[in-house]
Amino acid sequence: MSKSANYSSVDDDKLVREAQSGEMDAFEELVFRHRDKIYARCVTMLRSEDTALDLSQETWIKAWQRLKQFQGDSSFSTWATRIAINVCLDQLRKNKRQQAESIEALAEDSGGVERQMPVVTANPTERLERGELRQKIDSALDKLSAEHRTVLVLREFEEMEYEEIAKTAGCSIGTVMSRLFYARRRMAGLLADLKTAE
Amino acid sequence: MIYGMNEELQIKLQALLDGELPEAEAAAMINLIARDAEAAALHAELKNTRQALAKFERPLNVPEAREFYWSKIEREIERAEPRAEPAPRRHALFSFWRRAFAVAGGFAALAAALFIVTTPGKHPIGGAEMEVAMADVTSFTYRNYESGATLVWLSYPAENDVATGQPTTTIQ
Repeated sequence: MSKSANYSSVDDDKLVREAQSGEMDAFEELVFRHRDKIYARCVTMLRSEDTALDLSQETWIKAWQRLKQFQGDSSFSTWATRIAINVCLDQLRKNKRQQAESIEALAEDSGGVERQMPVVTANPTERLERGELRQKIDSALDKLSAEHRTVLVLREFEEMEYEEIAKTAGCSIGTVMSRLFYARRRMAGLLADLKTAE
Repeated sequence: MIYGMNEELQIKLQALLDGELPEAEAAAMINLIARDAEAAALHAELKNTRQALAKFERPLNVPEAREFYWSKIEREIERAEPRAEPAPRRHALFSFWRRAFAVAGGFAALAAALFIVTTPGKHPIGGAEMEVAMADVTSFTYRNYESGATLVWLSYPAENDVATGQPTTTIQ
């Protein structure tokens, strides 16, 4: 029986300890267990499956290199996801340097469109089928700027507090609140099929 | 429509939803929602959107086999790992005293050699040779060809550049 097979019944904490002592097979098992979550987070943030695949692998390389710093304050999965988020943010910053901000993003930052958008009264979770809602959420995320999508992902999917989002995204808490507000309003409109700034 | 609400109130409504509002302000916002239909509607919209996002993120799987996905990670890790373990660093204080003793010992040997060379009658200077490693004064060689005596002072293990082939100076 191979070492990898033996590790399949071992819990994350023990695998982490083994990996921290240099046991690569233990780390491979951790990668196997959490790779889908890391990949999904990268796809959600970057909106490109190819780039997300590369960056998810880069995340695991960094995780191995920093493994000794992991103290167990959070779950291994959360810790690895934080690394993935930072890797994705670095990529988004690179992208931003390479291309000028779109007019759409500037309009969102000013917030004019969303502030005047009528309130959506229908609850999307009641109105749409599960699969349809997932699809709509995914398409709607595509339409947000990277900045708005980032705060939305960090708040809604990672459940970070405003302060942590600000630190992670490198902006002020006020900016986080503002971006989050407009991102949510835009999402509400998109989920309700309202034509908002498209 | 929410034309009547200012931006600050809108943001505070959201902060209430996210549990990020101080207690006193939260109470004020709850009151506002209770008496203002516009605030209540916006609060409900934000809440619905939040619920939809929290429960319905699209699940995704890595589109590669386990072994294939891992092989790239493993290759990069092995490439980035240093080939050899760095030499263990000696304790700084221990290292300082060790060096100090080596240098002091070197000077003592130099003094002894000079004393032997310059003592009249017994050890004439002619035919004597002294070699000093200039990079670090931790190695001396004194030879007296007439008496056939050789005195070597070495700091061990070598910490100077002599061992790495640095030039030495010969005094004759």
